[in-house]
Amino acid sequence: MTLSLEKLKARQIDPTRPLLEVDRLVMRYHIKAGQVSAVEDVSFTVHEGEAVGLVGESGCGKTSVALSLLRLLPSNAEYVSGEIRLDGEDLLSLNTDEMRQRRWKEIAMVFQGAMNSWNPVYRVGDQIRETLDTHYRGVMSYTEQRQHMERLFSAVGLPPAMLDRYPHEFSGGMRQRAVIAMALGCSPRLIIADEPTTALDVIVQDQILKELKRIQADLGMSIIYISHDIAVIAEVTDSLGVMYAGKLVEYGPTGTVFARPRHPYAYLLLRSTPSISGPRRQLAPLEGEPPDLLDPPTGCRFHPRCPFATEQCVTEEPPLEEIGGGHRVACWNHEDVPELEGALQR
Amino acid sequence: MSLPPPMAVDDNAPEARLGAPADGASALELTDAGGLAKTPMWRIRWRLFRRSIGTMWALFSENRLGMFGLGLILLFAVMAISHPILMATVWDPGVYDPVNGYDAVVTEYTVVEEITDPLTEIDLQTARLRLNPTIKPGAVVSIPTQPAPPTISGENPHYLGTDAQGRDILSQLLYSTRSAFFLGAVAAFTTVFIATAVGAIAAYFGGWIDGGLMRFADLILLMPLLPVLIVLSAVFEMTMVLLGLIIGVLSGFGGVAIVLKSQALAVTVKSYVDAARVAGGSDWHVIFRHIIPNVLPLSFLFMMFGVTDAIAIESTLSFFGLLNVPMTWGIMINSAQNNGYLLSGTSFWWLLFPAGLAVSFLCFAFFLVGRGMDEVINPRLRAR
Amino acid sequence: MFKFLLGRLVQMAILFVVFLSLVWLLLQAMPGDISDTLVGNPSIPLSVRLELRESLGLSQPLHIQYLTYITNFFRGELGVSFSRYPQDVSAILWTALPRTLVLFLSATLLAFWLGFKTGKLIAWGRGAGSEKGLIVTGIFLQTVFYPWFAIVMLWTFGFFFGWFPIGRFIDARLWQGSPFNANEIFGQMIVSVIIATVIYVIGRYLIKRYARDIVTQTRLGQGLAAICVGALVLFWWLHPAAVYVADIAHHTMLPVMTLGLVAFGATMLLTRSAMLETLGEDYILTARAKGLPDRVIRDHHAARNAMLPVTTSLVLALAFVIGGGIVTETIFSWPGMGLIFLQAINVSDIPLAVGALSITGVLALFGHLLADILYAVLDPRIRVA
Repeated sequence: MTLSLEKLKARQIDPTRPLLEVDRLVMRYHIKAGQVSAVEDVSFTVHEGEAVGLVGESGCGKTSVALSLLRLLPSNAEYVSGEIRLDGEDLLSLNTDEMRQRRWKEIAMVFQGAMNSWNPVYRVGDQIRETLDTHYRGVMSYTEQRQHMERLFSAVGLPPAMLDRYPHEFSGGMRQRAVIAMALGCSPRLIIADEPTTALDVIVQDQILKELKRIQADLGMSIIYISHDIAVIAEVTDSLGVMYAGKLVEYGPTGTVFARPRHPYAYLLLRSTPSISGPRRQLAPLEGEPPDLLDPPTGCRFHPRCPFATEQCVTEEPPLEEIGGGHRVACWNHEDVPELEGALQR
Repeated sequence: MSLPPPMAVDDNAPEARLGAPADGASALELTDAGGLAKTPMWRIRWRLFRRSIGTMWALFSENRLGMFGLGLILLFAVMAISHPILMATVWDPGVYDPVNGYDAVVTEYTVVEEITDPLTEIDLQTARLRLNPTIKPGAVVSIPTQPAPPTISGENPHYLGTDAQGRDILSQLLYSTRSAFFLGAVAAFTTVFIATAVGAIAAYFGGWIDGGLMRFADLILLMPLLPVLIVLSAVFEMTMVLLGLIIGVLSGFGGVAIVLKSQALAVTVKSYVDAARVAGGSDWHVIFRHIIPNVLPLSFLFMMFGVTDAIAIESTLSFFGLLNVPMTWGIMINSAQNNGYLLSGTSFWWLLFPAGLAVSFLCFAFFLVGRGMDEVINPRLRAR
Repeated sequence: MFKFLLGRLVQMAILFVVFLSLVWLLLQAMPGDISDTLVGNPSIPLSVRLELRESLGLSQPLHIQYLTYITNFFRGELGVSFSRYPQDVSAILWTALPRTLVLFLSATLLAFWLGFKTGKLIAWGRGAGSEKGLIVTGIFLQTVFYPWFAIVMLWTFGFFFGWFPIGRFIDARLWQGSPFNANEIFGQMIVSVIIATVIYVIGRYLIKRYARDIVTQTRLGQGLAAICVGALVLFWWLHPAAVYVADIAHHTMLPVMTLGLVAFGATMLLTRSAMLETLGEDYILTARAKGLPDRVIRDHHAARNAMLPVTTSLVLALAFVIGGGIVTETIFSWPGMGLIFLQAINVSDIPLAVGALSITGVLALFGHLLADILYAVLDPRIRVA
C-alpha cells in the first residue's frame, strides 16, 4: 500500500543517487579520564532506496554513528572532523533549529529497545500526532492527521483503535510496530533501525523484518540497519559494513561480504556463526576483548587479536581500500584471509 | 551495590563452607585444589568489607558538599567535647554553669532623657527609680544587667554574652551540643533499628505479615509527628532519652520502613537467598546474614536524615517549653522568648542567633552528609 | 477509577477510626480521668460540672464510653472547651479551621509551584553557575531551624522593613466600628477564590479538549489564568469592604511566605533529582529525535513525568506543613487551629486539644487521599492496579 497524501512528497527513486554520505567522520567523547575515540574516520554512502547494514560488537561505534546522523549525541561528544551530507548539505554545519527541522522529517530513527521510546503518561496516538504537529504545522487538519495515523497503524498491522491507548496497554511486539509507524509518520527519506529486533522473540522478529522490507520497497525509503546479529542483517540489506573499535573495517555488497569476507575480523565473525547447511567445522571463537577506546592500540586497532597480524599492522593504520566490485577493506594482509569453508548462503 | 555478609560467627556452620558471594575475589585465589578455603572465611569477609568501605569512602570524598557537612559535624563534636574540658579546667563553675551559673556583668550606662541605644543608655526615670532620685542626665552609672552583650576581656569573659538570668551563652551552647548529639543518636538509631527489622521481616515473610505491617506504616505516615509529640509531652514527663525513643519508634514504623522493605524485597528474590535456605539456613539466619547486610547502607543513609529530623523536633518542642530538660538550644530560644527578647532583632542578637544557627547548621551538616551518601549508594545520581 | 477511589475512601475511613481510637486511648492514659480535670477546674460552677460528668457518660463502663466518643465525633460533637467556657469545641474549631486551611493550602501551593518550576529549570540547564548556589540555598531552607527562621522573617520583614504587620490576623483598630465581621469577610474571600479556581480548572479542561496543539494550549491557559486572577482582584477592589479585605490579605502574606519558603527548598531539590532521573529515560531521547522543540521536551515530556515522585512526596510534605503550621501560627499569632491546639495543651484544656488533634488527623487523611487521587490522575499506569 502507498501513503499518498498529496501534501507529502511522492517519491521517485534513483538507486544510483547518493542520499546520505558519511565522509571521514571523526567523533570523540570527553570524559573525566580523557578522550574516547568512538568514531574514527568512518566513510560510507547510502543511496536512495538502499538498505545498508552496520554490524559489530557492542561498543564498536555503530550506535554512535547512527546518533551522529541525527546529532543526538550528549553534550560531551565532539565532532572533530568530517562531514555528514544529506542531499549534499552537511548536517554538521547546521545550527540547532535547522537540524531540529530535519529530524524525523528527513531522517527518522527506531531506537534499540523501542518499547521504552514511549512516554508512559500520554496516549500513543498523541505522541505520534506530536511529530505531525511539529513538522506539518497548519498543513494537516485534525481529521487528516487522524486518518493518516490510522493508515500508519494499518500499515504495520496494528488495529487503529489502539491509537487511543496508553503504552503500557501494548505488548512488546506491538510497541515495536507502533514505533515503526511513528517513524514513518512524516515520510522520512531515511530510517535508521538500531537493533530493531533484539528483545523480541524469533517469530515476531521475522514479521517485523518482513514489514520493514515491504514498507521500504513501497515507499522508496532508504534504511540503515544496525545490529550485532549478522544473520538478521544479511536477510534484509543490500550493502553491509563491518565496524570494529570505532573504525569501518569492511564495506561492500552484502552478498560479496558474506561469501568472501576479506577483513580478519569479519572473517572470524562469520566463521564463528554455526551453519545448518554447510559442512561441520570447529567453531573458532574470537579471543580477547575489544580495545579500550580511551587508549586504542597503535596501527590497526584489531592487531592484538588478529591471527594474520604482521609488523606493519602494529605501526601503520590500513586505509579503507577498494578491492573490486564496490568491496572495500581496511587491512594490510587481506589477501592472506582464506576462503570461508562452506560459505554461508544468503 | 551490595555488601558481602558480615563476619562469620561460626566457621564450621555449613553455610560458611558454602561461602558467600565473593565480590571481586576469584574462587581460585581463595581455595586450594580440593576446594577448601585456605584463608579463614572471616578474614576474607573482613577484607572484602574493608575494600567496599574503601570504595564508598573514595566516592564520598569526591562530593564537596558532603565533606563540608562531615567537617561541620566534626566541628560540633569538638564543641561537645570541649564543654566538660572547659568546665573542668578554665571555667569557674559558679559563673559558667549553663543552668545555674551567674555572673553579674556590670555595664556602664549613660543617663539620658530619651533612649536611642538600649545597650549603652538608660533613661532618667528608671535611673532615678533604681538608683538615686537626684541623678542628672549625662551621668554615667554602672548597673549589673542581664542579658549582657559579649565581652572579650575581663576576669570572666563571656564571648557570646549572657542571657536574662546571667548565664553564659557560650557555655549553654556547648553544653547543648552534647544533648543534641545524644538525642540524635538515640532517635536515629531506634528509627533505623525498627525500620530495618520491620522492612526485612515484611519483605521476607510476605503475606499478611507484610500487609499488616504496611497498613500500620500507612497509619503512622498519616499522623503528623509534631502534634502527637506535643500531646505526649503533656502527658508524660519528657526526658531526652524518652523523647529519643518515642521519636525513634514513631518514625521507625513509618515511611522509612516502607522504603527499606522495598530494598529488602529486592534482595529476597535473589537466588542466593534461596540457596541459603536450601542449605538449611533458618528464616532468621537468612534475614540476618543476607537481607539485613544488603539493606544496611540504605539504613545508614536514613540514620543521617533521622538525626536531622530528631534534632529539629526536639528543638521545636523545647522552644514551646514542653520538655523536661535542663538546657538545649531550643530552651535557649525559649528563655529568650519568656523574657520578652524574641523580637529584639539585632540589639540582643546573642540570645537568638547562636542557638538558632547551631540547630540549623547541625541539621544542615547531617543532611549534607546524607545527601553525599545518597550519591554513593544510588549510582544513578552521580555526575559524569 | 471510581472503584479505586471507593477503595481508598474505605481504607481511609478505617484508618481514621483506628486513629481516633488511639487518640481516645491516649486520653485515658492521661493522669487522672476527665472528671478530675473537670471537677478541678475552678471556673466551672459545681452544678454544671456534675451535669457535664453525667452527660459525658463518665459513670458508664469503658467500652460504652469509647463507642459514645466515636459516635459523638462523627456527629460533630466534640465537647465543651474548658478554657473558653462555655464555647463548644466544634464551634471554636469551625472558626479556626478555615484560617489554618488557607495558611496550609496557600503555602503548599506556592511552595510546590515555585519549587517545581525552579527545580525543573535547574535540572534542565545542568551545570549552570547558579545551580550550586540554588542547591545549597534549597538545602539550607530545608534544614534551617523553623521557629528561629520564622522569628527572623517576622523581625526582618515585619519590624525592620515594616512591609508587613507583625503577626496577627487583622488590625483590630482598623476594624473597630466597621460594619463587617472579620470571619464573614474571610469566609467570603475564600469562597470567591474557590469559585475563581473552579472556573480556571473547567477552563483548562475545555482548552485541553478543543485546542489544537500544545503551544496554543499553553497560551490560552496563561490567558485564562490572567483573566481569573484579574477578575478576582477587580471584584474585591470594587467591593465596599475592600480596605478590610486588603487588611486580611496583608496579614496573611508573611506567614504564608515563611511557611512556603521552607517547603520550597524541599520541593525544589526533589524536583531536580526527579528531573535528572527522567532526563535519562529513553523516551526523552526519542522526543529529541522527533525534532520537538526544547521547551516541549522539558515541560511536556520530562517535567510531566518528574511530577510523579514529587506528588508522592506531597504526602510526606503534609506532615511537615502541619507541624510547621503550628509553629507559624504561634510565632505570627495567627489564630488558626495550631495556635488554639498549643494554647489548649498549655492550659490542659483536654477536649479542645483532643478535638484539634482529631481534626488535624482528618486533614492529614484528606491530604493523603487527595495526593493519591492526584497521582492516579497523573499516572495512567496506576489506574489499572
